[in-house]
Amino acid sequence: MNQQEKIKLAKQVMQIAGIFTLVVAGLLVINFIQLRKYEPLESETLNVLVEQLKNDPRNDALKEEIRDFDLLVRKAYFTSEWQVRTGSILLLIGGILFAVSLKVYTDLQKMIGLPEAGGEHFFAARNKAWRWLLITGLILFGMAFIASYYSTNYLENYFPESDTEIAASTETGDVEIQVLEIRDSMDADMQQSSDQSAGTDTSGAAGAAEESEGTQQNTQADAPEPEQVYGIEEFKKQHNTFRGPMGQGISYHKNIPVEWNGAQGQNVIWKVAISKKGYNSPVIWDDRIFVAGGDSESRIVSCYDRLTGQLLWEKRADNIPGSPAKMPNVTDDTGLSAPTMAVDGYRAYAIFATGDVIAFDMEGNRVWARNLGVPQNHYGHSSSLMVWDQKLIVQYDTGKGGRMLALDTKSGDTEWDITRDNHISWASPILIDHKGQIQVVTNSDPNVAGYDIQTGEEIWKVAVMMGEVGPSCAYSNGLVFANNEYASLVAINPEQGASVQWENYDYLSEAASPVAHEGLLYLATSYGVFVCYDAKTGEQVWEKDFGVTLYSSPMIADGKVYLMDNAGVMHIMKADRSGTIVSEPGLGEASYAIPAFADGRIYIRGEESLYCIGK
Amino acid sequence: MKRQQQLLILLFGFLLMFSMAGAQQRFPKPEFESGYMQPDTTTPEPRAAAMEFFDVLVLIGVMSLATYLIIRKRSRRGILWLTVFTLLYFGFYRNGCICPIGSIQNVTMAIFDPGYKISITILLFFLLPLIFALFYGRAYCAAACPLGAIQDLVVIKPVSVPSWVRKTLGFIPHVYIGLAVLFAATGTDFIICRYDPFVGIFRMDGPYLMIGLGIALLLLGLFFARPYCRVFCPYGVLLGWMSRFSRKHITITPSKCINCKLCKDSCPFDAIEAPTDEKVRTEQAVRKNMRSYVIFGLLVPVWIVLGGFAVSQSHVLLSRAHPDVYLSELLIAHPELKSDTENLDIQAFLESGKSMDQLVEEASVIRGEFRTGTWILGGYLGLVLGIMLMNQFILRKRDDYVPHKRDCFSCGRCMDYCPVDKTF
Repeated sequence: MNQQEKIKLAKQVMQIAGIFTLVVAGLLVINFIQLRKYEPLESETLNVLVEQLKNDPRNDALKEEIRDFDLLVRKAYFTSEWQVRTGSILLLIGGILFAVSLKVYTDLQKMIGLPEAGGEHFFAARNKAWRWLLITGLILFGMAFIASYYSTNYLENYFPESDTEIAASTETGDVEIQVLEIRDSMDADMQQSSDQSAGTDTSGAAGAAEESEGTQQNTQADAPEPEQVYGIEEFKKQHNTFRGPMGQGISYHKNIPVEWNGAQGQNVIWKVAISKKGYNSPVIWDDRIFVAGGDSESRIVSCYDRLTGQLLWEKRADNIPGSPAKMPNVTDDTGLSAPTMAVDGYRAYAIFATGDVIAFDMEGNRVWARNLGVPQNHYGHSSSLMVWDQKLIVQYDTGKGGRMLALDTKSGDTEWDITRDNHISWASPILIDHKGQIQVVTNSDPNVAGYDIQTGEEIWKVAVMMGEVGPSCAYSNGLVFANNEYASLVAINPEQGASVQWENYDYLSEAASPVAHEGLLYLATSYGVFVCYDAKTGEQVWEKDFGVTLYSSPMIADGKVYLMDNAGVMHIMKADRSGTIVSEPGLGEASYAIPAFADGRIYIRGEESLYCIGK
Repeated sequence: MKRQQQLLILLFGFLLMFSMAGAQQRFPKPEFESGYMQPDTTTPEPRAAAMEFFDVLVLIGVMSLATYLIIRKRSRRGILWLTVFTLLYFGFYRNGCICPIGSIQNVTMAIFDPGYKISITILLFFLLPLIFALFYGRAYCAAACPLGAIQDLVVIKPVSVPSWVRKTLGFIPHVYIGLAVLFAATGTDFIICRYDPFVGIFRMDGPYLMIGLGIALLLLGLFFARPYCRVFCPYGVLLGWMSRFSRKHITITPSKCINCKLCKDSCPFDAIEAPTDEKVRTEQAVRKNMRSYVIFGLLVPVWIVLGGFAVSQSHVLLSRAHPDVYLSELLIAHPELKSDTENLDIQAFLESGKSMDQLVEEASVIRGEFRTGTWILGGYLGLVLGIMLMNQFILRKRDDYVPHKRDCFSCGRCMDYCPVDKTF
């Protein structure tokens, strides 16, 4: 065999060995993937059998079946292992053959040739070298620098367990009273008269109009033990959640004023500057009014004396485990504090776009706080909280999917946590009492759905909605009303086998939630048209074009519809088939919040200030 | 005959390498109800002190013999057989441990942790190759390093790599040794050992990923000779520094170089420096280079500060490699995991009786150490970068083909190409 023949033979062996090695390697990879994908002990059948055995531990036949199956999966596993080992040996043989033939082939071809002339050009190579070195160094330093933006220092966010109580108690005295104006006519008789008008139980947790400090003490002293679970009747006396009791948009207070002028101070009992921006609306429990606010520096909860406007306490929602150090991206028209708080007479609850949920007692002491995971939300989380029967309901629909939780109001522990079959939404849950059962009703894409508040179990759902759902539902006379811009307005019977009773496409709201009352349904579009429908048939009763953006939701109070436009003008109409405009008082500043009502007064959050309006 | 030997060596190396490719994952034990008792897991006894000193003696013996074979005997064949011995003894018999490369971490830890006592054998393993390098070049790399040995035996068709690629890749070992020292100094991890690509092959056991990485490096090594040594080896940084000052380094030719250029392509590691081209080294070029050299020299402090600042920004991320920091952040971000009974780390922490406050405090101290450490690491990398940039503008005068003292592994291949000792 001459040199050329040897080279040819080595080349052929090398090619065959190379192909063989590649084929074996490919088969090994497939086998490896299969082993990873179908992990024998993860067998569903085996798990089902084991679960069955837990329920029936004395079933010998089942035990035998599990043993047989276990043996089978082990055999399958070890057979695969054998295949891997055999494949490795074949791979080894192929690899050796390839390497040896390659070595022979290259050695046979190697000849002591003449030294090659040329090579690298010295300066060109050197210039390339220093430039690449520089690039490499800068890339490395750049990566190290960028790493700081992608690594949250959780240790800095940690609030020592031992300091929690001390910090909470020492913060109480840090409030700064910011009452801008207090009307002269305010006097001590106010409480008495207002109690009579709304029928407030003055023996409640914090009913007396006293100095704030005294009130705090009373609240502490009078708090029933164990906590009383308030029902619908007590809630009707309050304005404790987004859009009033149970979130239905109806207030049960009377003698609500219809005339005021915010700019001139007409009928303005007090006005206070709000510390931090927020699109949430005020909530009220007895003589306390709460708002939240937030920016990238901090998120806060403020509590004012409802009667005097005095700031009772203002607390930060900080040092919450899991809270992000870097604020999530939110748009200016949503912000970090869009969701409205909830209050139940014992605690006030707030949620922010960071996913932080926090509870303060009525004195401003932090009771609990937790982070639900930063919500993936391109505008910012805006679903408001709802509270009922010691459960804090959180609709947490994010970019990752639909979710709703009920948290224990006393501890923040999860009572139930359900995954919902819907996309991200911005609407808030409402509560309805339908045929004696309290349901949480939500609006989202695509489902309008009702859940058992005790268990979170889905009772009904109808897939009728689409788009970026912002408006919450309304409820009246056994029908749930839901709508969203570019979708439809629907009436649904909220029970098992729920179906659409009627639907209408004429006017749809973008942000404002509808309200239903005494056979009529009211709806505010973002382009300024306010419409009244017959709640039973869906036929339009009347419409009014105010020509100004409407983001705030209408409220029914004292037989009238109160609708705040974005310019700060309240459109007050008779809540009947006439829709007669009663008055259109202005606040003197922009407003996007929903008014709250209590004891013959209306409380409005403007862009900058919180107003108490009354006679 | 020579070719047959090489083939045999190759065959043997591949047999050993692939024989553990089928390393198994642990399979859960069956649950017996027949009264059978699973035997307790036993921990092997540590190696006897006498045997550890024997290892030191073997190391000294191998390096001495390698030095003799390189300097005196000029025998590439001798080095080859010594390499095989090293692979068998320090590789497969001693399972790649103890080794000077990993000992960097032991020495570092001994310096920074007063509670850690380093054994004399580890210290000797760390120092001896450096001492040999200071006098005779990288004798350790030539024949005493099991990692180098396994790679050296699979060099089949090495290709020459452009100098700018080599120089750029030469920055990586500095990053690696810097991180290894930082992690060892903070008691975080021994990353050199954890990510040793060949120890799984030596032990015939290990994670698939690491064995796969080792095999991948060996396959790469068919064409890009000794990739781990040239691109990653952290100990190579120290050996390179020592070897630069070696008094009696390997020479290609036993007497005067005749500039025959036959050795030019003999080195698979591109570690032979050609004589200076006088057309290149003009007076004007020397002046110009000197100016650039000075400018880059003045920039060195800038690189040090820039590197320190930039790398210090990554201290939060890097410190997460420490188990205490990782655990504390995990529990802060997800306090609900405390009830996860399947997470053994969390359960171990809860059962330790240590409070969350204590854990976070300890983690904060460690993070503080990382803040300082990353400043130093960044400063070091800035210094290295600055010096490497300066070095590009040195125009040395060379009349002969000579091995690059820092990069040469003293394998002796070039000696075989030199006709001088055969001719004269």
